[in-house]
Amino acid sequence: MAEGLTKVQFTNLDKVLFPDLGLTKGKVIEYYIRIAPRILYILKDRAISLKRFPNGIGEEGFFEKDSPIGTPSWVQTFKRYSETAERDVNYIVCNSLDTLLWIANLAAIEIHMPLSTIGDFESPDLMLFDIDPEPPLSFDDVIGVTNLLKEKLDALGLVPYVKTSGKKGLHVVIPIAKGHTFKQTKEFVHQLGRYLAKESEVIVSEFSQSRDPGTVFIDFLQNSQGRTMVCPYSLRANPKATVSTPLQWKDLKKGLRPDDLTIFNVPKLDDPWENLLKFKQKLELI
Amino acid sequence: MEDIEEAEGKERPSKRPIWTGSITIGLVNIPVKLLTMIYDKSVSFRFLHKEDNQPLKYQRICVKDNKIIPWTDIARGYEVRKGEFVVLQKEDLEAARPESDQRIRIDKFVDYLSVDPIYFERTYFLTPDKSGEAYRLLLTAMEKMGKAAVGRITLKTKEYPALLHVYKNALVLTTLRYSYEVADPSGLEELSDLKEPSKGEVELAIKIIKDLSGEFSIDDYQDSYKERIERLIGQKLKGEKIVVEKPVKEEAKELMAALEETLKQLKTK
Repeated sequence: MAEGLTKVQFTNLDKVLFPDLGLTKGKVIEYYIRIAPRILYILKDRAISLKRFPNGIGEEGFFEKDSPIGTPSWVQTFKRYSETAERDVNYIVCNSLDTLLWIANLAAIEIHMPLSTIGDFESPDLMLFDIDPEPPLSFDDVIGVTNLLKEKLDALGLVPYVKTSGKKGLHVVIPIAKGHTFKQTKEFVHQLGRYLAKESEVIVSEFSQSRDPGTVFIDFLQNSQGRTMVCPYSLRANPKATVSTPLQWKDLKKGLRPDDLTIFNVPKLDDPWENLLKFKQKLELI
Repeated sequence: MEDIEEAEGKERPSKRPIWTGSITIGLVNIPVKLLTMIYDKSVSFRFLHKEDNQPLKYQRICVKDNKIIPWTDIARGYEVRKGEFVVLQKEDLEAARPESDQRIRIDKFVDYLSVDPIYFERTYFLTPDKSGEAYRLLLTAMEKMGKAAVGRITLKTKEYPALLHVYKNALVLTTLRYSYEVADPSGLEELSDLKEPSKGEVELAIKIIKDLSGEFSIDDYQDSYKERIERLIGQKLKGEKIVVEKPVKEEAKELMAALEETLKQLKTK
């Protein structure tokens, strides 16, 4: 740009990406500019994947792990064999504001990230409880289950963080100290799920039950190398332009609706995750 | 690419008349010439063959045997029903053509502002043809009275109603549309049962209109698509690399303001 504030040449700013709201790509970029300090903190040194919607969310988007043709030379990349793709992938590493803006200009509405950093790609630095309801259960049920999980984690002396997925569920994240493996974090989440499943009628802990109507599944499977979760503060490609929003535990009360946390109000909220990576915790393996 | 360089300036009037004749008012004749005044300045392109960039030409192809038909073998057909034609030869058309008697016959003078611009079609300059004195007299009198003259003119194959009026110290002629060429809004369903607004609403609307009232200035309006295309062509001519998608200015400005804030925040972090 002529103003010299960014290396990114913005294009098609008036293209509508959220047709129900009439939101343009310009507004999406503006959102990512405003949220940049929070999101860059978490994305630092992570090999990200993008979900791009060049023609807006009215059409199917596509997942992109590889940095696309035409990636500028100043964008940092990280080459690693991907087991899901079964080949070498050049991941984008979003370590600068310019990279984030370039991503937004690609109409990458959703940013997904692994639970590890490129410094130690095979070991987790985050542990994820992905809590997902099956109809007819509502978001209030998810809140109930998540608060139950929080009590249990508190009892174990752990400090969990919570965010909405931006869709139907909640994500509970614990930053993990060095020296743990994905096998351990996966097992830990799975065991807690099994424990809670005994305490509550609605909670299920096994993948085979995850589609049973009227249940809440505590998904442990994302705790694997190469798996991703939607990045905190990423927009979601749904008609209300929701955001995967970090929450204060005290705000996690019945009546909260993930649809109310959107591109319009999330940048004005406080950031409950601003110290997330300062409290890396050790797991007492059960 | 003269057009590109002159894009900012206004068109100079052409010198070649498209018609010569006289204005006839009763027994008075004023010899005049008609000059082109309106230029369509929208962007137009030639079609090229993608592979070798050579221009394409049109040919007339018979739908029955796909043969190319030369102009000499072409007749004109009036389609009475779908696929059914009454054929007219060149001679038939010649005979029916209105005879241009090289006159602009003036029927009466009217208040210029009483003519709805809906009927205006195309405007031409009228210049005196060795008749400067009479021309000047007519111009001065019409200007003083705010009048326009209504009459008829035949141009090529069509007879038009016409309006003579004053534009910046020149007499101009505007051909008019016939009333049957303009649709009537009374047939529009959307307008048939609109609710009467309340007095308060009307007052508010009038206030808004008053607040936004000003002098009309056509120079406030520019064809931004045309400007972008011309800039693009200029760059291509100079061999510059073309960045096709340019941001919309206003939106880009908002982004830059947000960007400045965020850069400040990142610095203090």
